[in-house]
Amino acid sequence: MIKQTNIEVDREKGNFHYPTDKYAFDAGVGLSEDVVKYISGVKGEDDWLLNFRLKAHSIFEKKPMPTHWASKDLENIDFDVIRYYLAQGQQPSRTWEEVPDDIKNTFERLGIPEQERKFLAGVEAQFDSEAAYSRMKEDLEKEGVIFVGSTEGLRDHPEIFKKWFGKVIPTSDNKFSALNSAVFSGGSFIYVPPGVKLAQPLQAYFRINAENFGQFERTLIIADEGSEITYMEGCTAPKFETSTLHSAVVELVALKGAKIQYITVQNWSNNVFNLVTKRAMAEEEAEVKWIDCNIGSRLTMKYPGVILRGRKARGEVLSIALANDGQHQDTGAKMVHAADETTSNVIAKSVSIGEGRSSYRGLVQIPGHLKHCKNNTECDALLINSSSQTDTYPAIAVKGDENSVQHEASVSKVSAEQIFYMQQRGLNQTEAMSLYVNGFVNDLIREFPMEYSVELKRLIDLEMEGSVG
Amino acid sequence: MNSVTPTINVNNSFASTDFFNSFLEKRSWEPGWLADFRKDAWDKFIALPKAKVKDEMWRFSPRARLGYSNFDSLKESVKQVTLLNQNSNGAIFETFDQAILNNPNLLTHLPNCTGPELGSQESFLLGACFSESGFALKVKKNTKETNPFICKHLAPTKNQTLFQQNIITVEAFAQVTLIEYFDSENESTGGNLTNLSHINLEEGSKLTRIIIQRVNDQSTFNHLEKVELKKNAQFNGISLQLGGAQSRVESRGVIAGEGSDFSNHSLSLGRRGQLFDQRTIQHHLAPNGKSNLLFKNALLDESKSIFSGLIKVDANAQNTDSFQTNRNLLLSGDAEADSLPGLEILANEVKCSHGATTSKIDEQELFYLQSRGISKTLAEKLIILGFFEEIISKAGSDDLVQMLRELISDSFTD
Repeated sequence: MIKQTNIEVDREKGNFHYPTDKYAFDAGVGLSEDVVKYISGVKGEDDWLLNFRLKAHSIFEKKPMPTHWASKDLENIDFDVIRYYLAQGQQPSRTWEEVPDDIKNTFERLGIPEQERKFLAGVEAQFDSEAAYSRMKEDLEKEGVIFVGSTEGLRDHPEIFKKWFGKVIPTSDNKFSALNSAVFSGGSFIYVPPGVKLAQPLQAYFRINAENFGQFERTLIIADEGSEITYMEGCTAPKFETSTLHSAVVELVALKGAKIQYITVQNWSNNVFNLVTKRAMAEEEAEVKWIDCNIGSRLTMKYPGVILRGRKARGEVLSIALANDGQHQDTGAKMVHAADETTSNVIAKSVSIGEGRSSYRGLVQIPGHLKHCKNNTECDALLINSSSQTDTYPAIAVKGDENSVQHEASVSKVSAEQIFYMQQRGLNQTEAMSLYVNGFVNDLIREFPMEYSVELKRLIDLEMEGSVG
Repeated sequence: MNSVTPTINVNNSFASTDFFNSFLEKRSWEPGWLADFRKDAWDKFIALPKAKVKDEMWRFSPRARLGYSNFDSLKESVKQVTLLNQNSNGAIFETFDQAILNNPNLLTHLPNCTGPELGSQESFLLGACFSESGFALKVKKNTKETNPFICKHLAPTKNQTLFQQNIITVEAFAQVTLIEYFDSENESTGGNLTNLSHINLEEGSKLTRIIIQRVNDQSTFNHLEKVELKKNAQFNGISLQLGGAQSRVESRGVIAGEGSDFSNHSLSLGRRGQLFDQRTIQHHLAPNGKSNLLFKNALLDESKSIFSGLIKVDANAQNTDSFQTNRNLLLSGDAEADSLPGLEILANEVKCSHGATTSKIDEQELFYLQSRGISKTLAEKLIILGFFEEIISKAGSDDLVQMLRELISDSFTD
């Protein structure tokens, strides 16, 4: 699916096969109006949604690639060889024996439960968590929470979801949001009623019989007045995919006083282009927090944003990126202040290992008519090897004398003295390096839920192996 | 029909072969290689692709304001820059035309000069093609010039445009201070001055360069410079950007030799609708280099500043220390400061950081001063002067620092 390049990516990894002849729904390869109509037809969608998709398709065709500022690697995506829709049961499959040893090893080291391993390796299309989920589902229904897939959401609850669908991120926002709007399937649509505070985080893979990690997933979360929700997406274990382009759109709406926390851990295999548009709208006194961790993929471009629309709204992005050989983590944050007394905070840490490259791109915007807005941005980059690369490209536009903004970025390497000290205490070099990197990201990892932070630490250990010496 | 004198539109005339040929005719006394160089630049200007709407090099910039369409003719009867220097130790310090006649070897590397390459390719090519003024400075090896070299540039008025080129070479282990003033001929009408500086610092040399820009408030100021530092060379730049309706400053510091040290300090005092568009790069090619950049902008009324800076460290530029700081002080609800600090780091043995802050005057400081009986206007002025002190103090000698301090203080009176 990728044109030949000189970047070393192991394309044999996984080696999936598609038994396409067996399935009823096949949109074929490539993108055209017919494919869009086909997808819409399969899902039995209303006319407005079909028109929405068709319009998005024409916008996608017109929009240029953003290569004037972004990585030229984008030009290697060949849109004509991609499958835009895989129906139920048409997911790639393979047997456990076909799963490469290093992946099995990784699962072992991370301590992934047996059941999950098969799902993550693509042996089973579905992660069976019925027992855990059914009790939770009852609780959720009692509270009036709606937690469904994108198709069901728009079909069964248009009165709730249609109002905000495509409003936080307009179709024409960028080429990839247009692509997603044309061909989306999968993802989660969530509505939390006023005042409901969910104690447990929701996770996509709790939902059964749904396309969980779609190629073009679409997520919309609406937290009504005073409600609270934490949503987790992805997982720390590597997820192996044949589909080399992932382009999701995630829209969050936090109404007055609501709190949304959205946690992502991305660990796609390193042949995947991960081009995601994520944005939240925060009304008065609402709070949105993006916690973002990027470990996998070949190229990730992801800049979670918050539009602070109501007075005293607060936006936060905490981001960790790990770029190893052949990877480019191009991540960042956007904070658009649009009301008085809004505050935002961005903390981004990146680690570049081997020939990996990590970039931070940010936007902070405070127009002149606003008062008492504040932003704080901190970007720290750590370079492990002499061939590692890091870039920082923030953009800060501030008007008026009633606001204040500060931005700080630093680049450093591993301190030889500290490594020496640890080695003197009996740690070998790799262990010392791991410990150092873990220390570097520690204050952010603490923000993750317990089980995630434990897995993340193990994952960093794994990534650091073979990076020194 | 009456014969009408054709109105000359500069862009049209620049692009017209007739106009260019008549310009060459006027300067037919020049050596052939210089005419060839101008022709080459003109050809490149003609071939310049149309500007894209979204150009990262022009982000946040009201590009049309900085174009040539408002200054629609070349300045006639060019008066060259005024050069002042006492008791030089054998340095060559001549106007552009003098240098062509007396020391053409100082200019022969012009065709190899590339400029800062930070977006104003149009200005650079037009400057290379149509420059009729500027100066050449060459400081001899191992000499220490105690008296500063002073150059007074005059920006045109009557909506005319003037292009200048300055070639500065400091030979090995020489030391010198250069002060450049940019003023308008008069205050009545505006004009555009496009100034290109090519600065070459050889091994162990040291240059302190001070720019004082006070062109009138209807004028445009374009300044493009590239500073190349050889082994252990030092550059200390201090800019006071006070005038102009709009200005675009592009500066590239190239740390080409091991152990060289590049400092770039600038302050802007914005009033009314002034626009300061500043683009910089600190490019480290060689190991053990240092660079430090500090840009401070104090913005009143509806003034606006754009700062875009990049630190680029190449893979073999190990042990680099590079810093970049942008501080913006907003003194009015309509002032605007845009900041684009950037890092591109390909070496791992580095200490690099950038910081950008934008804020208003500290209420407590203001209150304290006012409680001592100082009026609010004066208190603000004092705080701004204090804010700028960090830049001014880099000028070195006490006399220079005091001179700059007074100069800024005086600029408040209008």
